[in-house]
Amino acid sequence: MPHTETHHERPTLVQLRDVHLSFGSNKVLKGVDLNVRQGDAVSIIGPSGSGKSTILRCINGLLAPERGEIVVGNTPVHALKTEADRIALRKRIGFVFQQYNLFPHLSVLENIVIAPTRILGTDRQTAEREARELLARVRLSDKADAYPGQLSGGQQQRVAIARALAMHPELVLFDEVTSALDPETVGEVLAVIRELVQDGLTCILVTHEMRFAEEVSHEIVFTEGGEIVEHGTPQTIFHAPRNPRTHGFINALRN
Amino acid sequence: MIESLLNAFIAAAKIIGLNYSFLLSAYERGPWLEGIGITIGLALLSIVSSLLVGIVVASLLTSGKPWLANPTRAFVELTRNTPTLVQLYCAFFVLNMLINQAVGGAQNNPLSAFAWVVIVLSLHYGAIHAEALRAGIEAVPKVTRESALSLGFSRSESLRYVELPLAMRFALPSLVNNLVNLVKSTALGSAIAVGEVTYASLMIWTQRDNVLELMIFIFLVYGILTLLVARAGSWLETHLRMPGYGH
Amino acid sequence: MATENNTLILKAPWVFPTVSPVALWLVALVAAWAVLGQLYADSIRLLLLWVPHLAKGLQMNILTSVLAIGIGTVLGLLVGALELSQARWINTPARWYVQVFRNAPLLVLIFFTTYVFPFEIKIGSIYLPFPDWIKATIGLALPASAHIAEILRGAVQSIPTPQWEASASLAFSRSQTLRWIILPQCVKRVLPPWMNLYAMITMSTTLASLVGVTELLESAKNASNTVNRTDFTILVYLAILTLFFAYCYPITRLTRRLEKKFSFH
Repeated sequence: MPHTETHHERPTLVQLRDVHLSFGSNKVLKGVDLNVRQGDAVSIIGPSGSGKSTILRCINGLLAPERGEIVVGNTPVHALKTEADRIALRKRIGFVFQQYNLFPHLSVLENIVIAPTRILGTDRQTAEREARELLARVRLSDKADAYPGQLSGGQQQRVAIARALAMHPELVLFDEVTSALDPETVGEVLAVIRELVQDGLTCILVTHEMRFAEEVSHEIVFTEGGEIVEHGTPQTIFHAPRNPRTHGFINALRN
Repeated sequence: MIESLLNAFIAAAKIIGLNYSFLLSAYERGPWLEGIGITIGLALLSIVSSLLVGIVVASLLTSGKPWLANPTRAFVELTRNTPTLVQLYCAFFVLNMLINQAVGGAQNNPLSAFAWVVIVLSLHYGAIHAEALRAGIEAVPKVTRESALSLGFSRSESLRYVELPLAMRFALPSLVNNLVNLVKSTALGSAIAVGEVTYASLMIWTQRDNVLELMIFIFLVYGILTLLVARAGSWLETHLRMPGYGH
Repeated sequence: MATENNTLILKAPWVFPTVSPVALWLVALVAAWAVLGQLYADSIRLLLLWVPHLAKGLQMNILTSVLAIGIGTVLGLLVGALELSQARWINTPARWYVQVFRNAPLLVLIFFTTYVFPFEIKIGSIYLPFPDWIKATIGLALPASAHIAEILRGAVQSIPTPQWEASASLAFSRSQTLRWIILPQCVKRVLPPWMNLYAMITMSTTLASLVGVTELLESAKNASNTVNRTDFTILVYLAILTLFFAYCYPITRLTRRLEKKFSFH
């Protein structure tokens, strides 16, 4: 496992305290606590509908919790009142979606360049140079002028990762990024994420890829029914879970 | 009672500069109220008969027999791509004239201007309904027919019990939209002097120069009628809603 | 439910044609005119005499339709933008505007602009004439603008919400998302209904004849009344029908082709 030796000394980047959220009468989050240190990769696992994706959307302010505290760096996300404050927050947080959500009317390069140039005010030349570097990093240098509709799912997802990285985020949220992919393209996306984690990028991953989660994560969080049932090192969660619900979930997957 | 209410209304309107005194003259009020009735009559008759035409045309379009489908398609395209008013003139100034000549004078012709408006609107909107219905039929997934046939339905039974009920639901929003347009199109009757509400108002304002006052009433009449059609449509839509589909 | 059904219905029309209706129509028209040419050689000669008069009428239809769609588009985009605003005091009046002008009969609107607007406008000490054909054009442009506002709103709503979410995650504001992400994707979706609307407006220009504007239908009526012969009347109205069909049908076909093309993207 990468750089565990400094694991406990690094400062906390994301902190959730007692976060509650419901859609109508449906209680999605019932008091979620979460701690993510700088440089950590934290994977959230659990059955569908357990509120995993909702947690991510609360962290970057796409959803506002009804109760509880969310702090990213020094920013109290739960207390942000204006759209401008939320925009300032989102400049620092990357988000990669299950369905990629690339902009279909823009070429791959433009998809990556649009946010840095328009939002951060980076000059075109710099932005384009960085975009090409990022494309090289996700091994898509030859696709700069292609359009999203011409790419496979795995390629689109790697562009989406490059698009998020172009903003130089301090944190990237991955929302089931391989769930919509063909099995043969899952590997190429996971390889890219693995490298990012090794380079020390802080990320929170919602995932169903258990073997991958076990391999790259510093910490695993198991959620069920809107609550965090158990969290710990991959070793503990996957091989010696304390909570019977975690045990049941892991066992069901094994068989 | 009614008379005093009317007087109160006219006095109130006068304060904001609107002249509704024509309502006091039975000579003008009568044809005008009758005009509302004629508009409603035109609308109701055309709605019913346009839907019937639409069903017939749609079944010809989807019959799968080119000698039926192609001429029908030609009729639909001609209808949709020429002005309704020109169609009305062709019917009233050409066909009606020919009928008059054939039966020996207008007095023997059973078709009134009112009837021609209903005929033209029914054919025009029938063609447009047919397009909506056809699209609805084509929107029914192929596997639906396959599963009906494999349950032992015949081709026509599958159409009647399974596909058409589904197609109706798919086509309903378009049909309602068409019917709203149909109600508005009844105003075309005034072009050939059918005394519906637009024409009746026209007759009054050429005498009294109270266009704005009558316009407000006309907008209200059509507003209420189109609202009723739209409401009936959305009632049907919720009534026929398939749980689990749409929202 | 409604939107989903509409897309289903909108996507279907080009599935059908097996034999091209264009070819069918061309054959039918040529045949009809050939037969008429034999039977009505005399009135065809008469009709040719009236061609300049009819052509002038047709010019008026084209002029009013182009002006109406132009004014309607500019006004409609403006109203549509107001409708998309999140401030209620802005979007409510815009929504009312759209409702009123979509639900009033076109003919009544043309009566309205013709009879309620003055016949001349005073600017300073200058009196500018305000001819009926311009008033009728405005009568056509007002409902057109309401339809365009609706088309715009529909197109914006048809863009999947994840596009908004993705833009928000990249720190775009609502108006930035609209400008750079949503509207560019709308252009393709807006084009077919916009062309459809133009064809509708063109057909509606005949309504101007009812307020005394000398356009094609009015010219035909004049010709028919002046010549006063059965065979000529038949011929002249058929000619008008053919002319409108020849003008509008290609637009409709092109619209369907574009719809089909765009639906694959």
